[in-house]
Amino acid sequence: MKTVIVRPERCVGCLQCRLACAVEHSQSKDLVAALGEAWRPVARIAVYPGGRHLSFPNKCRHCDPAPCEAVCIAGAIRRNPARGTTDIDPVRCINCGMCAMACLFGVLTFAPTPQAPERRAVALKCDHCPDRQAQGRPPACVEACKVGALNYGEPAAEMAAKGRFLAQAFFAASQGASESPVPDSIRLWRQLG
Amino acid sequence: MTYVIIGTSAAGLAGAETLRRLDPKARITLISDESHLPYSRPLLTYLLGRETTREKLFLRSLDYFREWGFETLLGTPVTRVDPGAHEVHLADGRALPYDRLLIASGAKPRLPPIPGLELSGVFTLRHLADVERLERHLAHARRVAVVGAGAVGLKAADALAHRGLAVDLLARGAQPLSKVLDQVSARLLMEAIARLGISLHLNSWPTAVVGNGGRVTAMALNDGRELPTDAVLFSVGVAPRVEFLAGTTLAAPEGIPVDEHLQTGDPDIFAAGDCVLPRHLLTGAPAAFHIWPAAVAQGEVAGANLAGAARRYDGILPMNSISLRGCRIITGGHLTPDTPEGEIFEELDATTGRFKRLVFDQGRLVGATLVGEVRHAGIYFRLIANRTPVKDLPVDPRSPHFHPGRLWARPLPGAA
Repeated sequence: MKTVIVRPERCVGCLQCRLACAVEHSQSKDLVAALGEAWRPVARIAVYPGGRHLSFPNKCRHCDPAPCEAVCIAGAIRRNPARGTTDIDPVRCINCGMCAMACLFGVLTFAPTPQAPERRAVALKCDHCPDRQAQGRPPACVEACKVGALNYGEPAAEMAAKGRFLAQAFFAASQGASESPVPDSIRLWRQLG
Repeated sequence: MTYVIIGTSAAGLAGAETLRRLDPKARITLISDESHLPYSRPLLTYLLGRETTREKLFLRSLDYFREWGFETLLGTPVTRVDPGAHEVHLADGRALPYDRLLIASGAKPRLPPIPGLELSGVFTLRHLADVERLERHLAHARRVAVVGAGAVGLKAADALAHRGLAVDLLARGAQPLSKVLDQVSARLLMEAIARLGISLHLNSWPTAVVGNGGRVTAMALNDGRELPTDAVLFSVGVAPRVEFLAGTTLAAPEGIPVDEHLQTGDPDIFAAGDCVLPRHLLTGAPAAFHIWPAAVAQGEVAGANLAGAARRYDGILPMNSISLRGCRIITGGHLTPDTPEGEIFEELDATTGRFKRLVFDQGRLVGATLVGEVRHAGIYFRLIANRTPVKDLPVDPRSPHFHPGRLWARPLPGAA
């Protein structure tokens, strides 16, 4: 199951992901039109300063089992096995805040949304952009990321690729080193030939 | 194996589902004295405030019991449990044999011992039927008094005010939620209560409900006042439902004592949810705390242990989210430190009304209260539950830089 894989060491804190996320979750999905919408579009990804010029993009990890799902008193948070996401149904959400009490990663935002127009606010978080997924496109934040800090892929495949890369890098680095240096006599003898 | 589960709310259902996953062939029978499909009890105040609808109360589909292969006895109260014979006796005279039993019978509202409780217009809010009764009465009511300013009382007062009723809210102490909230948070909460148009009466409790012609007309208060009202809603806490365990050694008045596996004094009987007296996660002392998420967590552990998993329940960390219109508070853990070397950190932003209060003890975070901005509450509670020493954290929780960036963004080795 594909998910957004974050490489914080690459993030430069440009906030393009936040902008793209807010636009994707607006009614028009257009930056200029979104500015005038009745419901102010809200980004579901946050970027925190991490110190030493590092940044940290923070978003829902779609835990399984998810602590927020277990505590939701409204039955609004459900696992979607087909998409591999933990989703909030804004129509069922009653804005009680229990999910924020349970989330280990601090990813929930409370704001009004056009999906539940009668509510003052509902819990909002990353949904892996279902409209884009239906079109075969990656999530908006991934498409917006210019430095490869946000990637959309299979965690197992990405881990295998990273493992291969590290193994090759280690092997290459070890080639120069030799367990016991060649004795001077043999080195000189080789120079003769 | 034949399993019987008493109760079909948070703990009972979580137990049944966990048990089913671990033992697909087990015979599982669920008993409830309520005849409805399982519904969310905490949503009742939201239903009262018309913030949700009746059909959204139900958390499971019509086919739920059949899909999970649960046999059900709904609308059937349990009268007695016979641990010796391994039998549950029902109100209709039947006796149901079990190999292992889960008691998740929940709690019932307490009522103060005052005269006038038999009058029409006196209510509690615990069951779906309570909301239906209250709805019928409110059709011709204008003023409602809510007795008890705990989590349920506050939310009920908010709901009733939202419907345009004149609401009097009685708090026994000098502030609402006196057991879990500090003075600053309580002041912010009281400001929000005032903005909602609710009349809050501090240090007040009723000495009698006064009626005329069988209907409530007023409430006599401890200070001699008489508060005119058309209905009284009592939300002064709950008591565990253990009366059907009379004659056994299983129950105590404060709840069913259980060990760390949620096993009762009888090895074939487990208990979970509001009927249990669990241990406090930090102190290990018996601590009754009734909240939906804890009931679900206990139900999962008890359900697994019914199947023989021997899972441990770490204990309860009291915490709650108070969400009124225009006010959001998440608070949990200790209100004050246990030892003299403990320390309390408070930071109030007077312009935004945001407040952060942390309680430290013996180098660890033991309590947290957030008002206004609550999105990182779960991080604080995880540190409390894990007993993580503050000195091991990359950033001090008191710092304004305590956020996911400083907690998780680390320079690569050699990159610094």
